Amino acid sequence: MALVTLFFVLPVLFTVWMSLHKWPLLGAPTWIGLGNYARMFTDARFFNALGFTAHYTLIVTIAIFAVAFPLAIFVEKERPLVSAYRTIIFLPVVVGLASASLLWVWLANVDSGLFAPLFEMLGLTSGRINLLARFDTAFLTIIVMVVWKIAGFTMIILLTGLQAIPTELTEAARIDGAGRWQRFLHLTLPLMRRTMALALILSVTGSILAFDQFYIMTSGGPQNRMISVVYYIFNQSFVSFNLGYGAALSIALLLILVTLSVVQLWLLKVGEERP
Amino acid sequence: MLKKLLAATALISAGMISTASAETIAMWVRSGIGDSFKEVVKAYNAGHENKVELTEVPFAELVQKYATAIAGGQAPDALSLDLIYTPAFAAAGQLEDLSDWAKSLSYFNSLSPSHVKLGTYEDRIYGLPLSVETSIFAWNKDLYKKAGLDPEKAPKTWEEITANAEKIRALGGDTYGFYFSGGSCGGCMIFTFTPLTWGAGADILSADGKTATLDTPQMRKAVDIYRNMVKKDLVPAGAASDNGVNFLSFTNGKIGQQSIGAFAIGTLVTQHPEINFGVTLIPGVDGKPSSFAGGDNFVVTKGTPRLAEVKEFLEYTYSLEGQKIMAKYGSLPTRGDIANEVLEGLDPRLKVGMEAIAVAKTPYTLQFNDLINSANGPWATFTNAAIYGDDVDGAFANAQAEMQSIIDAGQ
Repeated sequence: MALVTLFFVLPVLFTVWMSLHKWPLLGAPTWIGLGNYARMFTDARFFNALGFTAHYTLIVTIAIFAVAFPLAIFVEKERPLVSAYRTIIFLPVVVGLASASLLWVWLANVDSGLFAPLFEMLGLTSGRINLLARFDTAFLTIIVMVVWKIAGFTMIILLTGLQAIPTELTEAARIDGAGRWQRFLHLTLPLMRRTMALALILSVTGSILAFDQFYIMTSGGPQNRMISVVYYIFNQSFVSFNLGYGAALSIALLLILVTLSVVQLWLLKVGEERP
Repeated sequence: MLKKLLAATALISAGMISTASAETIAMWVRSGIGDSFKEVVKAYNAGHENKVELTEVPFAELVQKYATAIAGGQAPDALSLDLIYTPAFAAAGQLEDLSDWAKSLSYFNSLSPSHVKLGTYEDRIYGLPLSVETSIFAWNKDLYKKAGLDPEKAPKTWEEITANAEKIRALGGDTYGFYFSGGSCGGCMIFTFTPLTWGAGADILSADGKTATLDTPQMRKAVDIYRNMVKKDLVPAGAASDNGVNFLSFTNGKIGQQSIGAFAIGTLVTQHPEINFGVTLIPGVDGKPSSFAGGDNFVVTKGTPRLAEVKEFLEYTYSLEGQKIMAKYGSLPTRGDIANEVLEGLDPRLKVGMEAIAVAKTPYTLQFNDLINSANGPWATFTNAAIYGDDVDGAFANAQAEMQSIIDAGQ
């Protein structure tokens, strides 16, 4: 409890205190009350960042689940080499996100990387394409990178959920004549609700707080179309030196995250017994 | 006995004074400005009792790091600060006022004027020139020869540069005619691209820095020149997303022409002697040349206890010996009165960098980071959108509006 107070409650309170000031990185802060919060509502760049973050979160979460769920089902069954598969799929998770981003910057580099010459050789593109120069291709590259990096982690979480389902239930359903798809829909999914909630909250929270990949891989480009909320807070605080406004934005983001998590828990009805 | 004791005490205290007087000055320098400053520090440390301890900080993070270090009470005694930031730090009251000492220097009036101008805030001097760099145009003589061009003839207009680039690109493979860091590198582009419009009499900010004047016929023409070269495939595809990391692509020997900095002359001469290159001034869109006078100012953190030692070090860098070492590694002389003496016997191409000072400009604004240097600021975004985007008019309109709103918010 003391640790929570020291490392969470006090910093948050201090951030709230800062957010009520015009607080430049250099020089003395001045009290402006709710000025920073009022400014937020007319700040088009903040709303752009929110919009982009929502867009990114939606797509990347769907992509991660679309990859992680089949993988989890694949590695759940006992089959030869299954632990080797699990390890291989999980490997990218242990790479730091920043290192992974740097690695992919190199892979995507048009002159000395891997993808552009590879696509050209396979005849997919005529000439070399600079993947990071256009929004669509750069966004796709980042999504693929994040899925490669994160899907293994989500897979492990889902795997624990799958393994917690008693075999007797599956057997009983099979005997009752339920098909493969029916078993998945009416048995597996409802029993995995809690695990899904955990994986979903982790994935959504992680995506909303995304920063490294945009900062390192595209510097928020092309033409500033990849500024996530955290990136915008960073820019306000340490590029424009408006620590007060950055703090206010952080508090707003905290509130958004708490709301989203509560909504997700409620939607997945975690904590209640099954109806 | 008492006498002996007294004598011993006196001796010990005398010894202590002399050891205490050998101070270590903590200094920061940004990366990417060549070796000139490191070398001068080395020479100083070898010949003086006081030592300078140098810390290199990545150029993109120096401002943040220094600002946070001041806030945390961990700031170095002095640092080599990109001169465009001096007004903002002086305005924030974080720098030591050097006015009286500076004016007492016999050569004060011959110190690089644009540096002193940017080092001055409300008539007090907070920054003094440490290194001077100008942007210049470089061409690779070997590639010129291979492409059938006269390697000794410097191009005078952008039509000429484009035509030469086409001939060099015709060599095929990964040989390209021109290079620039086009992936939203505000610092690179203000340094190498704005001279095109300055030479033709336009600027991106009004003289008082209070109005954004981006959308001019000159800037439109400059954008067209670069767009045209990109369209004709004269520039490597990687340029579109280069945020400054590969700014010195010219050193790989496969780029025919590029606008670079005078520091790069030192780098090329000392580290890439295989590259045979020529330098000239950057032509404006109508042929009249211009340049960006950049470099670093020497600033002292307010309240440092080692002010006298810092001054002694700065006087050393201003001496003929110090200036000579700086110049050898590519920094142009900061003292106009001994410039010829300093450059004597050094690479003659450095003289082009010196000539550029006469036609060079430096924007004066407290919001340089927000407006120009930030990778997400309006200028950086504009350079990428206007040269690589599909909507040039939109790029002009957005950047003009956003620059003005940042300026207005800062008033």
